[in-house]
Amino acid sequence: MPDTPILQVENLSKFFPVQRGLLRRTVGHVKAVNDVSFTVNKGECLGLVGESGCGKTTVARCLLRLVEPDQGRILLHGEQQTFDIASASRKEMLDVRRQMQIIFQDPFSSLDPRWRVTDVIAEPLMAQKVGRGEAGRRVLDILPTVGLGPHFADRFPHELSGGERQRVSIARALIVSPPLVVADEPVSALDVSVRSQIINLLLDLQSQMNLTYVFIAHDLSIVKHISHRIAVMYLGRLVELGTTQQVFEECKHPYTKALLASVLIPDPTHREQSYVLEGEVPSPLNPPSGCHFSTRCPFAQEQCSTEEPDLRDMGGGHWVRCHFADELDLSEEIFAPQFDTPTASN
Amino acid sequence: MPDSQPILEVHDLHVHFKMLAGIVRAVDGVDFTVERGRCLGIVGESGCGKSVTARSILRLLPSSDTSGQILYHPDGDGQPIDLVSLDAKGDAIRAIRGKDIAMIFQEPMTSLTPVYTIGEQIMESIRQHQNLTEEEAQELAISMLNKVGIPDAERRFGDYPHQMSGGMRQRVMIAIALCCEPRVLIADEPTTALDVTIQAQILRLIRSLQQDLDMSVIMITHDLAVIAQLADFVVVMYLGQMAEKAPVVELFQDPKHPYTQALLRSIVRPDTPPREQLHSISGSVPDPRNAPSGCRFRNRCPSVHDRCVEDPPVVQFGPQHSATCWLYVDE
Ligand SMILES: Nc1ncnc2c1ncn2[C@@H]1O[C@H](COP(=O)(O)OP(=O)(O)OP(=O)(O)O)[C@@H](O)[C@H]1O
Ligand SMILES: Nc1ncnc2c1ncn2[C@@H]1O[C@H](COP(=O)(O)OP(=O)(O)O)[C@@H](O)[C@H]1O
Ligand code: SF4
Ligand code: SF4
Ligand SMILES: [Mg+2]
Ligand SMILES: [Mg+2]
Repeated sequence: MPDTPILQVENLSKFFPVQRGLLRRTVGHVKAVNDVSFTVNKGECLGLVGESGCGKTTVARCLLRLVEPDQGRILLHGEQQTFDIASASRKEMLDVRRQMQIIFQDPFSSLDPRWRVTDVIAEPLMAQKVGRGEAGRRVLDILPTVGLGPHFADRFPHELSGGERQRVSIARALIVSPPLVVADEPVSALDVSVRSQIINLLLDLQSQMNLTYVFIAHDLSIVKHISHRIAVMYLGRLVELGTTQQVFEECKHPYTKALLASVLIPDPTHREQSYVLEGEVPSPLNPPSGCHFSTRCPFAQEQCSTEEPDLRDMGGGHWVRCHFADELDLSEEIFAPQFDTPTASN
Repeated sequence: MPDSQPILEVHDLHVHFKMLAGIVRAVDGVDFTVERGRCLGIVGESGCGKSVTARSILRLLPSSDTSGQILYHPDGDGQPIDLVSLDAKGDAIRAIRGKDIAMIFQEPMTSLTPVYTIGEQIMESIRQHQNLTEEEAQELAISMLNKVGIPDAERRFGDYPHQMSGGMRQRVMIAIALCCEPRVLIADEPTTALDVTIQAQILRLIRSLQQDLDMSVIMITHDLAVIAQLADFVVVMYLGQMAEKAPVVELFQDPKHPYTQALLRSIVRPDTPPREQLHSISGSVPDPRNAPSGCRFRNRCPSVHDRCVEDPPVVQFGPQHSATCWLYVDE
C-alpha cells in the first residue's frame, strides 16, 4: 500500500492563557501543543501517547476545531478537495465534519441526558441537515455495525452499560461515514472484558470500511496493539515519532523508554522487568529550559538544560527530539528494577 | 520465613443492600485469609463488590446489611476479634480503624477534605490514635510525607489538596493511612486514575513500605497487571461472588474458572500479535439486581451447561487453590 497522506499537521500550536486575580489578568500561557507536526496516511492507525497533561486531547480538539489553533496548518485531503482545517470557514467545516469525526472517552457527559440513543447517534447527521426520517433509518442501519440491536435506539444513556455507551459513541462517529476518525481514550473507562470487544470492533471496522484512525490512549499495550505508527508527546512537544516497531523496539528517546519501562507486565514471574521514572511532569506553565525532559532524564548533560533539541530525522521515518539520540544505548536496563519476585507461598 | 499466620480471616461474608427496587447482593459469600506481611489481591470488573468488601472490613457499612465473620488477629497472644460483631459506631472498631487497619480510598480527592491543609489532615489522623504533643505530631507528619516521597515536605505541609497533582494526593493518602503503622493496609484502586509512570511509583512505594513495616496489604484492582506485580495471593470476584482463589503464580499459569481464564486471555501482552482480534468475553457484567440464578457467570460463560442453573460448588485444586464452578465435578 503506497503511503497517501490523508491528514498533514504542520507546526500546530495551541497556547491557553492562564488568568489570575479579580481582573483575570493573563499571567502566562500553558503551551498545551507546541509546534507539532505529523502526517497520517490513508488506512493507517496513528497512536498518540504521553502522560496526562502532555497535550494529546488538545491536539485532538484542534484537529476537529473544537478549540481554535493558534498557529499551524491542518491539511485534510478530502475526496474532492483539500481543506486547511486551521483556517476553514464555517461552511467548509461542515464538509470537514463529513470526513472526520471524533470518539470521546465519555460522549454522554456533554450531552443532554434526556436524549435517546437514536438522537445521540443522529446528531452529526442533523448538523449536516439530513431529514429526521432519513436520519432515523441510517441510525437503524448502523446499530448492527457496532453490535447493538435495534431495541437500543429508544434507550436513554443511563440505561446503557459502559461498553454499550462506547458502541453508541462509535456509531455516532461513523454515521456520516467519515474516512478519518479521531478516538480520544475510547476504551480507558471500560472494564477489561469489554475493552477487548471494543478494540476488536475498531479493528474490524477499520478493515471493512478502510478507515484511518488517530488513536489516543494511556494504555501503551493497547496502543501498540492497534497502531501502525506512534507519536509520543511530552509537555506539548512531539519527542518521538515512528513506526510501532521503531518506537517500541528501537526507541531512541529516553522519555519513550521510561514510558515503556513503566508498563506493568501481567506475568507474576517477571517482576524484575518493571522500572520507574522518577518525578512528575513539570508544570506546563513553566516548562524546564532546554530539553523539557531534562529534569527527569537519567542521561541529561549540561547542554540539555540550555539548548532545546530539534526533532531530527533518524532515517526510515523515525523522528527523535534528543541531543544524544544517535549515541544513547537504550537497550540497557537504565532504570532500577522495582518489584521483587513473589515469595513461594506454600 | 515462619509458617504463614493469618492476620485477617473473612468467612462467608454477605453484604446485601435493601433498596426500593430490590435487594442488591453486592457481596454474596466471600471467604479469604490475609497472611501477615503478605499482599492479597482482589481483582474483578466494576460493580463486582471489591470496594464493598473493603468497606465492610472497616465496618463502614450499616450492620443490618452485613453478615458473616471477619476475624482480626491482633499482634501478640490476643484473642481474634470478630469485626462483624462490633458496633459499627462504637469505640472498639474506632480504635482499630485507622490504627490497626487503614485504608486508601479509590478517589483521593473525595477522601481528603478540601478546606484543611494536608498537614492538618495528617496530624488529625495521628492525634486520633496517638498521645503526642503538637510538635511531636507535626514532626511525625513531616517525616511521613518524606517517607512517601513528597519532595520538600516541610513546605508542602501547608498545601491544600487542590494544589497537588493526583499522584501527590495519593501519596498524602498513603501517608495518612500509614502514620499509625497499621498492621493491615487496604488499598482500593490506588492507581487507577494515575499515569503508568506514577502508577509504577506508587506501587513501588506501597511495596517497600509493606516490607519496611512488615505490613499486610489488601490490593484491590481491576488490573491483572497490578495483581501480577504485587499480590502473593489472589481472589477473583464476579458479581459479588468468588470465582477463584489461588497463589498468584498458580492463578496466572493454571487458571481453573472460565471467567479467570477468559480475563487472562483478553489482556494484551507484550507478545500478543499486533492488530489481531483479541479474545473477549461476550456481553457485559449484568446489573446485580438481575444477576442470573445459579452461577452468576452463566449468561457469558463459554462452557455453560445444564447444571449451571444450580449454585456451583467450590472445588479445591490444591491447598490454597479453589474455583467455584461445575466443570470439575463429574455428573
Ligand atoms: N481550556 C483550557 N484552558 C487552560 N488550560 C488547558 C485547557 N485545556 C487544556 N489545558 C491544559 O493544556 C495541557 C494539555 O491538556 P490536554 O488535556 O490536552 O492533555 P492530555 O495529555 O490529553 O491530558 P489527559 O491525558 O489528562 O487528558 C494541560 O496542562 C491542561 O491543563
Ligand atoms: N450503599 C450502597 N447502596 C446500594 N448499593 C450499593 C451501595 N454500595 C455499593 N452498591 C452496589 O454494590 C455493588 C458493588 O459495588 P462496589 O463494591 O462499589 O464495586 P467495585 O468497587 O468492585 O466497583 C454495585 O452494584 C453497587 O452499585
Ligand atoms: S536532550 Fe538531554 S535531557 Fe533531553 S532527552 Fe536527550 S539526553 Fe535527555
Ligand atoms: S458453573 Fe457453569 S456457567 Fe459457571 S463458570 Fe462454571 S461452567 Fe461456566
Ligand atoms: Mg486527555
Ligand atoms: Mg470500587
